[in-house]
Amino acid sequence: MSTSTVEVPYLNISDPSFAMQSEELRTAREQSWYARTNFGLAVLRYDEVSKLLKSPKLSQGSAKWPAHNGVHGGLFFDWWTKNLLVLEGEDHHRIRRLLNPAFSPRLIKELVPRFQALANELVDAFIDKGECEFIRDFAEPYATRVLTILLGIPESEWPKIARLASTVGLALGVTFKQDLDKVEAAVAELYDYAEELIRDRQANPGEDFVSRLVLASRDGDRLSDEELRNALVLLIFGGMDTTRNQLGLAMQSFIRNPQQWELLAERPDLGGKAVEEVMRTNPTVTWVTREAVEDFEYQGLAIAKGTTVHLFTQSSGTDPRAFPNPEMDLLGEHAPHYGFGGGVHHCLGHFVARADMSEALPLLASRLANPHLVGGDEWLPDSGNTGPIRLPIGFTKRS
Amino acid sequence: MRTIDVDRSLCDNHGQCAIAAPEVFRMNTDGVLEYEPTFDDALLDEVEEAIDVCPVQAIFLKD
Ligand code: HEM
Ligand code: HEM
Ligand code: SF4
Repeated sequence: MSTSTVEVPYLNISDPSFAMQSEELRTAREQSWYARTNFGLAVLRYDEVSKLLKSPKLSQGSAKWPAHNGVHGGLFFDWWTKNLLVLEGEDHHRIRRLLNPAFSPRLIKELVPRFQALANELVDAFIDKGECEFIRDFAEPYATRVLTILLGIPESEWPKIARLASTVGLALGVTFKQDLDKVEAAVAELYDYAEELIRDRQANPGEDFVSRLVLASRDGDRLSDEELRNALVLLIFGGMDTTRNQLGLAMQSFIRNPQQWELLAERPDLGGKAVEEVMRTNPTVTWVTREAVEDFEYQGLAIAKGTTVHLFTQSSGTDPRAFPNPEMDLLGEHAPHYGFGGGVHHCLGHFVARADMSEALPLLASRLANPHLVGGDEWLPDSGNTGPIRLPIGFTKRS
Repeated sequence: MRTIDVDRSLCDNHGQCAIAAPEVFRMNTDGVLEYEPTFDDALLDEVEEAIDVCPVQAIFLKD
């Protein structure tokens, strides 16, 4: 069987009008397990995404991002090329082993009452108005303050941390080169924060998250101050916008599925399922990028060394081959989604994100009835990391 | 010696256990988990870490 007889779909994933949840994509997924794109291959179906995500033939595809943009040095470059996300093999595993103990699910559980108090405080501020801008009034402060709680930074610092992280995020956009000076300044400021935290906990170690990182050691090995600083900046950077966007997308999903919102209001124990179902059907990370480390063949397709491979999350999470009823259903039993990636780079912060979102969603459902769009919403493009930038909603206060 | 069990219906072959406790868990060349069901007490800390970090919580200590 030659695959050349099958027509392979083509997707322009950089086109601002490209949409993941579209007829174009569903048709492509029916035609073939993969598509060609203007930038590498896209894998569309569940089984293939699952296998390739964990394949030793593929490595993290983001390492060369600065070089692609003509950036070959500087603070951002140094940080990016040495952080956990882009390291491979033993260099990656060593850092991951030293970070792991701080992310133990048992330790994260202890923070849950703080997450609940924070969510209630934010809702209290707008509940009587019957409307809010969900990103500004809830998703962003919640996502950012959860991180400050985790890291033990004063919560009042959150607007500054949010601004710095967003500025560093410009490095991942198409205007990276123009924004370079701003990005460098923001990385420098985040370094100062991280270094101060590290000095403070080295002098006064406690039971908190950063103290655990400072004290972490294994077989006589420990993180250097520089590795620790790079990791803290990665946590701030990788944990904030993702959680904000995912909460915004959750609100969109429930606005589209009002019966599911009512169900969640009655059954707060479904908070965990709500997170999984939102991330399966409406993930913020729309693809994970990998690169072929050698020539290999997969399902009759020759993939050359260096080929970029995008593993599509929403498309795989709603593939009818794996999910006969792909619609969001909090009472359904579904295979795991890949909204947190998978394999060796599987999201390190997923217990934190799952714990905070599974508290926030039922709490919102129990206080806001009938959330609906009131216009004025603005969205990130669908390529890479997506979600609402502004999401004004109306609702009825539950008594 | 201690004993563990991995629930294969849950395990999704992420390989995080093999990073945490390489003496007990490893990924084969197809990216599929292989592991030693019994292991020396001296490795208990590492194995408990593997249990903690498994993204789908598929590893269980039996005794
Ligand atoms: C809803 C929120 C979140 C989503 C959707 C998300 C998603 C992801 C995804 C898809 C990856 C894999 C990227 C890749 O393989 O290329 C990843 C990696 C990572 N995430 Fe998250 N994440 C979230 C929250 C967090 C939080 C709260 C933290 C930290 C506290 C965090 C820290 C990290 C780190 C350090 C990595 C790199 C892991 C490695 O390469 O070994 N994430 N995340
Ligand atoms: C923290 C380190 C991160 C890495 C390596 C990373 C990698 C990248 C890259 C290269 C882009 C390109 C943006 C664009 O084309 O507009 C980007 C946006 C995106 N981020 Fe991040 N990002 C980071 C934070 C995160 C995290 C933690 C995740 C998962 C939560 C993630 C997943 C993505 C994806 C999938 C894209 C789109 C990739 C692309 O367009 O090439 N990012 N990120
Ligand atoms: S970490 Fe869990 S899911 Fe991954 S291979 Fe090990 S047991 Fe399986």
